[in-house]
Amino acid sequence: MLPLAELQSAMRDVSLGGDATRLAGTIVSDGFSHAERLNIHRNNTTILLTDALAATFAVVVKLVGEDFFDVVTRLYVRAHPPQTPCLFEYGEDFPDFLASLPAAAGLPYLADVARLAWCWNEAFHAADDEVLTSVDLAGVSPDDYGDLRFSPHPSLRLVSSAYPIKEIWDFNQCSTDPDASVDLDEGGQAVLILRPKSTVTMIELSMGGFALTNHLIAGHRLEDAFAIAQRAEPGFDPATTLAVLISAGAFRAYALKTSP
Amino acid sequence: MDPMAHTAHRLHSPIPSRTGIGLKAQHYQEILERAPDIADTVGWLEVHSENYMCEGGPTQNWLMALRDLFPVSLHGVGMSLGSVGPLDQSHVARLVELEQRVAPGHVSEHLSWSIANGDYLNDLIALPYTEESLNVFSSHVADMQDALKRQVLIENPSSYLRYEHSVIPEPEFLLEVAKRSGCGILLDVNNVYVSAMNHGFDPISYLDQIPAGLVGEIHLAGHSQTSIDGRIIRIDDHGSPVSDEVWDLYDYTISRIGPVPTLIEWDSNIPALDVLLGEADKANRILDTYQPEVRHAAVG
Repeated sequence: MLPLAELQSAMRDVSLGGDATRLAGTIVSDGFSHAERLNIHRNNTTILLTDALAATFAVVVKLVGEDFFDVVTRLYVRAHPPQTPCLFEYGEDFPDFLASLPAAAGLPYLADVARLAWCWNEAFHAADDEVLTSVDLAGVSPDDYGDLRFSPHPSLRLVSSAYPIKEIWDFNQCSTDPDASVDLDEGGQAVLILRPKSTVTMIELSMGGFALTNHLIAGHRLEDAFAIAQRAEPGFDPATTLAVLISAGAFRAYALKTSP
Repeated sequence: MDPMAHTAHRLHSPIPSRTGIGLKAQHYQEILERAPDIADTVGWLEVHSENYMCEGGPTQNWLMALRDLFPVSLHGVGMSLGSVGPLDQSHVARLVELEQRVAPGHVSEHLSWSIANGDYLNDLIALPYTEESLNVFSSHVADMQDALKRQVLIENPSSYLRYEHSVIPEPEFLLEVAKRSGCGILLDVNNVYVSAMNHGFDPISYLDQIPAGLVGEIHLAGHSQTSIDGRIIRIDDHGSPVSDEVWDLYDYTISRIGPVPTLIEWDSNIPALDVLLGEADKANRILDTYQPEVRHAAVG
């Protein structure tokens, strides 16, 4: 008789694809063999976790098809089982897993689109918070603008890619035109993902906009972030992008600090 | 009676001895809009606790809006009370936080395990019914109740396998857990039927062993049949209407123990809300049959 710890460890191995031989004398086999009975549990784990991943990464299912997705998730579930019972937290490293798969190499943008899906999922479940508006900034003297620092809304996420991931995303949310397509050679895209109230939005950012947002959410002074963004993209107009960020609800608060 | 206990539970809206339905995201909007019209059919709502443990966002807001209209029960699927080793303390803390926010009428969990070596298998696996399991499980139920400062209901599982070294019949094991921990029982009639068919025992004799006073809630759900080389095994997949055999067992149970809060669960192939309401009507009719007195006075 196996102690409970060993039994559960052995059954975990089987549910994650391992061999059932060790449990032959432990599981009653009337009508069905021990392996057939354990296989029901292996299927439960595989199918239910695949369903959870399919919900979070619906866009990936659309891109690769259900059959391929099932094959990939079976590998993923067994190599990276969830560490928490809250399944909206499951799949953080699924995009990296996709990137490492030789079988998915034909879709070089797949992992980045999966990252977008993961960030959408994180934004959806993130903490609610205040949203900073331009009215809140009305009292700040223009002389002090350069010293402004912003704290990001808890739902804010950024993804950048060498591929047009937002176009691929949009195309796979509502593609009604069978002849429509995305030109993969049109260049990369950076995307801001945000849920200020109840709806997740995605905003495409230019190279300068991405650098600006990235440095503002890292806590840099506005003047420094402006300068970095303009170096990243010659001719970039940081003030316009800042106005877009503020009206989208990208920040929860500001601070004025003159310290470096 | 301890007056403090009363104060502590004042905010919890009690679950009525009517039918509730499992709340799914697909139905949030419709339930909110039709709340006044369906209140006679749907007495309460049950949610899977783990789905609402996020930090914020729309799912929580839906729950809190619906919680103002219906009593709510928190049904956990992830505590893994049957796993060796201490409970996941961060998960316990998240449940305590959710319980305080929602102030549910019931909190429930399963007689099963789903975590080993830190990995969550997203499955409800039956335990071997041994003295070791009894110690592990009962002390985990007690830990969970201590953290929540309230009684928890424990649900009997559907099972697909048994262990050679199991020595305690399941109902006896469940009653002993209740005796040691003070928990109540969530009697899943479909699970009793599924296990009875899979293992060849009499579901009536199982049901007869559960004392009326321990049953805080009943679950009803559909199950499926899978054929392996011509042999049938029943799978508790909550993806279809409650079977006729389970309705008969439910009628039998209510006739024996009286009306108890009853949940219609439907978690896969989720149908239109009206399909769930139809199932709830069926359960309500059975509950009405065994009401000790007439619920609604005639109008006029």
